[in-house]
Amino acid sequence: MSWRIGVDIGGTFTDVALVNEDNGRIGIAKVSTTPDDFGAGVVQALSIALDDHNVAPESVSLLSHATTVVTNAILENKGARIALVATRGFRDVLELRRSARVDLYDLYQDAPAVLAPRHCRLEVTERLDASGAVVTPLDESDIDPIIEFVKNNDIEAVAVSLLYSFLNDAHERIVGDRLRAALPGVPVFLSSEVLPEIREYERTSTTAVCAYVGPILESYLHRLEEAVSGMGLPKLYVMGSSGGVFDVAEGLKMPAMAIESGPAAGVIAAQLIGRQLNKPNLISFDMGGTTAKASLIKDGQVETTSEYEVGGGDGNVNRWMNGAGHPIRVPVIDLAEVSAGGGSIAWIDPVGALRVGPKSAGAAPGPVCYDGGGVDPTVTDANLTLGYLDPGALLAGRLAIRADKAEAAITERLAGPLKLDVDATAAAVVSIVNNAMAEALRIVSVERGHDAREFSLVAFGGAGPMHAAELASELGVREIIIPPIPGGFSALGLVATDLKRDYVKTFYAPLTGIDPADINAVYQGMEESARDMLRATDIPESRWVFERAADLRYLRQAYELTVPAPADAVTPETLDALANGFHEKHRQTYGHENRNEIVQMVNLRLTAIGRLEGLDLRQTSATGGGSSMTGSRKVWFKGASRIDCAIHDRDKMNAGAEAPGPAVIQAVDTTIVVPPGWTARADDNGYIIMEASDGC
Amino acid sequence: MDANVKTDPATFEVVKNSLYAAAEEMKVVLAKTAYSPILKSAGDYSCGVFDVSGNMVAQGPDLPIHLGSMPDAVKAVVQSVEAMAEDFQPGDIFIHNDPYFGGSHLPDVNVVSPAFREGRLLGFACVRAHWPDIGSATPGSYGAVTEIFGEGLRLPPVRLYSAGKLNRDVDAIIFCNVRTPDERRGDLNAQIAANRRGSERLSELAGKYGADVLLRIMGEVMDYSDAMMRALLRDLPDGEGSFEDFCDGDGILEPGATEDETFTVCMKVKKFGDALVVDFTGSDPQVAGPMNAPLSVTASGVFTSVKMAVDPTGMIPPNSGCWRSVTVIAPEGSVVNATFPAPVVYANHEMSHRISDMMFGALAAFMPDRVMACSQGTSAILTLGGVDYRTGGRYVSYETIKGGFGARPTKDGINCVASGISNTMNTPIEVLEMSFPVRVEYYEIIADSGGAGKYRGGCAARRAWRILGNDAQAAVCCERTKSPPFGLDGGKAGTPMRIHLETPDGARRELISKGGFTAPADSRVLFEVPGSGGYGAPEERDPVSLRNDLRNGYVSLNAARRYYGVTDPQALLDGDD
Repeated sequence: MSWRIGVDIGGTFTDVALVNEDNGRIGIAKVSTTPDDFGAGVVQALSIALDDHNVAPESVSLLSHATTVVTNAILENKGARIALVATRGFRDVLELRRSARVDLYDLYQDAPAVLAPRHCRLEVTERLDASGAVVTPLDESDIDPIIEFVKNNDIEAVAVSLLYSFLNDAHERIVGDRLRAALPGVPVFLSSEVLPEIREYERTSTTAVCAYVGPILESYLHRLEEAVSGMGLPKLYVMGSSGGVFDVAEGLKMPAMAIESGPAAGVIAAQLIGRQLNKPNLISFDMGGTTAKASLIKDGQVETTSEYEVGGGDGNVNRWMNGAGHPIRVPVIDLAEVSAGGGSIAWIDPVGALRVGPKSAGAAPGPVCYDGGGVDPTVTDANLTLGYLDPGALLAGRLAIRADKAEAAITERLAGPLKLDVDATAAAVVSIVNNAMAEALRIVSVERGHDAREFSLVAFGGAGPMHAAELASELGVREIIIPPIPGGFSALGLVATDLKRDYVKTFYAPLTGIDPADINAVYQGMEESARDMLRATDIPESRWVFERAADLRYLRQAYELTVPAPADAVTPETLDALANGFHEKHRQTYGHENRNEIVQMVNLRLTAIGRLEGLDLRQTSATGGGSSMTGSRKVWFKGASRIDCAIHDRDKMNAGAEAPGPAVIQAVDTTIVVPPGWTARADDNGYIIMEASDGC
Repeated sequence: MDANVKTDPATFEVVKNSLYAAAEEMKVVLAKTAYSPILKSAGDYSCGVFDVSGNMVAQGPDLPIHLGSMPDAVKAVVQSVEAMAEDFQPGDIFIHNDPYFGGSHLPDVNVVSPAFREGRLLGFACVRAHWPDIGSATPGSYGAVTEIFGEGLRLPPVRLYSAGKLNRDVDAIIFCNVRTPDERRGDLNAQIAANRRGSERLSELAGKYGADVLLRIMGEVMDYSDAMMRALLRDLPDGEGSFEDFCDGDGILEPGATEDETFTVCMKVKKFGDALVVDFTGSDPQVAGPMNAPLSVTASGVFTSVKMAVDPTGMIPPNSGCWRSVTVIAPEGSVVNATFPAPVVYANHEMSHRISDMMFGALAAFMPDRVMACSQGTSAILTLGGVDYRTGGRYVSYETIKGGFGARPTKDGINCVASGISNTMNTPIEVLEMSFPVRVEYYEIIADSGGAGKYRGGCAARRAWRILGNDAQAAVCCERTKSPPFGLDGGKAGTPMRIHLETPDGARRELISKGGFTAPADSRVLFEVPGSGGYGAPEERDPVSLRNDLRNGYVSLNAARRYYGVTDPQALLDGDD
């Protein structure tokens, strides 16, 4: 028997998921995250998981993990001391940013900290023009003082980003070669290697992020590699932000790839479920204590975006990048995130209106009902008051809760000032938070031109299944899938993924004037790098896949749309197909197109994939007869007020067992709310499928 | 709020958030599909949702400069339709830009679309977007002229589409009057698409909640902002303050003069309870050149600072309701309340910047912890136009350069970021040079440009453009070359604006702050934009902060000695933290 193992290091818990490759059986283990030394928690969690499930280390075929180490280094300003080398006259590019402030009216806002302080920004005399031709040759004598500076100032990594290096990397390469030769042990990142893409600020920022987090990622991964190989486990893979794993050596070339590691894993797990259940169109919805995230899977494919900022502070609906963080132009799974979760605090503003969030009660003090000293009513308290949560205890009895305290807090702090009864108040809180989360779902679906009604919702995270039906109704979605182990679902995504690496190269020309051979050459160049990367893995060549795409826009626009390109040799017909694909996507996304306008090619993209064997996930279903219903209680539902509601135990739901709404299904790590008009059914593999009946 | 019928708290909050989401969605469509850099990259536009009378119910996360003036733009459309005794039809799209019919300045083109549900008018979507050219003698339409007639194409509210059908006559007039019409058409299409998105969302909300409920909530949202503004105002101390400042000039030189003549703006602010009165009595009469602010532009400057001072954490949703508690008094025919046919193009941002900064100066008298020292105080605009030697095609480029954001009572200012009424982005140099025949030769922070203070003013940037191939018709629109951004509470002023033209022979000539000129091929236009003022006495600056400033070159050794009273700055620099 062989096993795949995924380890997801979250803010609070480190989750381990094991999947038996032969029968799809799942196991999990959970330990507290150890922020001072993430590796210690990983090793502990792995030991527990191997022991609990009697897995021998040599029977593990894949070990992959998601890490927050890169994101944390940026959020906590704990990255490396870096130097930036820029074209003369342009060393302040990272501080000048795009010059817009984050908040329009906040008197006390600050600009984000610059990763390279000004005295560590150095210049070389050189200049290329907008065609990549040399205007001012590189003055190589400028390089020696840079080497001295790095040596004398304990600089740990260097980012080099010169103007137009995406068109002509000659100057950057000379600088890079000299620095690498003179500074062994100091990683040097060249913008032309990291991101050969137009727009100097974004390219420099991506390169600087790599330098800033590279040394930390390196020491972390090497320590972890040592520890797991000491346990007899196989080579370690890391989850990348675009939803594939890469090996350690590859990751260190492009550390920015590890930014949105954990959230990406959840979406990949949802994608796996879609494949297994033959549901190609899904919206994944992940709701935890402080944030909710949504992402779209269309025709089995996850959507990625290159517009991403790291370290922007509060998670908020990312309809628009506001400049709060450091942009990184690597493909990131397109997630819409809102600061809304079970811990979101409900409050009354100075003129008496009810508001929910963005402040959260967090893990401490937590919701009022946890009795940990929290006094502000939260979404969880409202859910409890309405009867959705078991009034006695959560987590199969391990967490005692105080429904009376929750109700008292809602009464005193909200219902009194609002002059409403407690049910109406709690319902209002839930309805406001649902609307905030529906925004995230709308952004990835309706606003991108997709009809949400053609999608099923995959709900996970501790709180997702409780809110899913209301959100689905809001968007017209008629089917909800709740996976086994919704609380540790992201870790499952780690074992379900493929090996993946994204390459990009700017190719800046109007589509009409392009020689297909030139494009072929660029694609082939990227493919060669990709083949080298794949050869270093043990994935057979028969499982290699290369996906091509192009970033296109109308000649005078500023933002591109990514359109897939056929894998075979580029011909004039390919270019026509690209143009057509672009017009269509433009219409779908923005509501209009202009067939008479010239289409501009901006970037060529190649995604190299090493496919792993397919996998089906199964959880042992309950066996034996008997009803899963364990009792009933009065629960509040929209349009029905307080009604009798059946309570089910998920562990007692046999394959095929049904729970018609109104019902509440209680499980160890989640609670599933089935409103009137919905029916939940357990399938053969341990999934709960909820469907709306007509009229809902 | 209405005493009789009141929306339940959940529906109110949900619909309010949906209205703001609609305005934000409009922004995404506009920015991502527009053609000209000033829209697609720089973001010089605002999107909003309006009620049937033209009041702004929700503004997108766009420019503060349009806060006060956008409602007038929609009201102008409503009034023009009423005046003709006509009705709005589904599929109507109006266009207009005239500051004497609810506009701000001619380059700001308003596109207004009514939203319907089952034949019932719900309100309007409006996108105001700055077109880089609207005709006139100067590419970019930033010439120093003496009448609005010289500033470009004037469009009173007219139908571009009637019931979904393009009005070809209007369309033809517009596109034969602007330079680079293809690019303008792309921008206009983006505006129309954004409006469509906004009016669709309004219609969907009416479908979901009922038109009556939606219209009631639109009113309640504005009442809510009014109530919030009053509640926050009541918590602040009462008092009075005044501020007087002078502007560089209007860009029109008197015969024989070499200096532009300055003019004065006077302001008195009085706050009592939940009301605020801002009185501009005593300000100079309107001037010959385009530095005359329509009243709505003046109001935008006032509102921006009121919002920042009263609501620094952003609790009040921006809409027309916010300003019911604020009264603006501005003498007709003065520089802060222009009358027809005074030219206005520069005033839109240069006067609203000035008024916004002066507001903080006046408020400092009685709420010193809610103000900031003067920011850069100018949009620092350079427009270039001509023929691109690489393609033979015409081009118009429009850029704004950012300096310092003022020092705060407990914090330094911010270096090189948009301040006050503006929040536009810079255009990437690599995109700029691919689009236009220029080469930027440096773009960097200027040492000692932030005003000295316990909290240092934000530093400014300098930038050089080399003109490539052919001569370019250039125009600048800047302020604070003569009155540097002021400090507060003992803080020093930031450095002033400087503009030079350097001809190919290397000779440099300083230019006045406004007006057009020819920039010969291979010449350079050099900008040093203003730094912002400092807050508090420089001698009180924390030595660790000053050492960081020295180490990073924000402050020079000389300046440390001269302005901060450090006797041995080298020792300070070499010391340990």
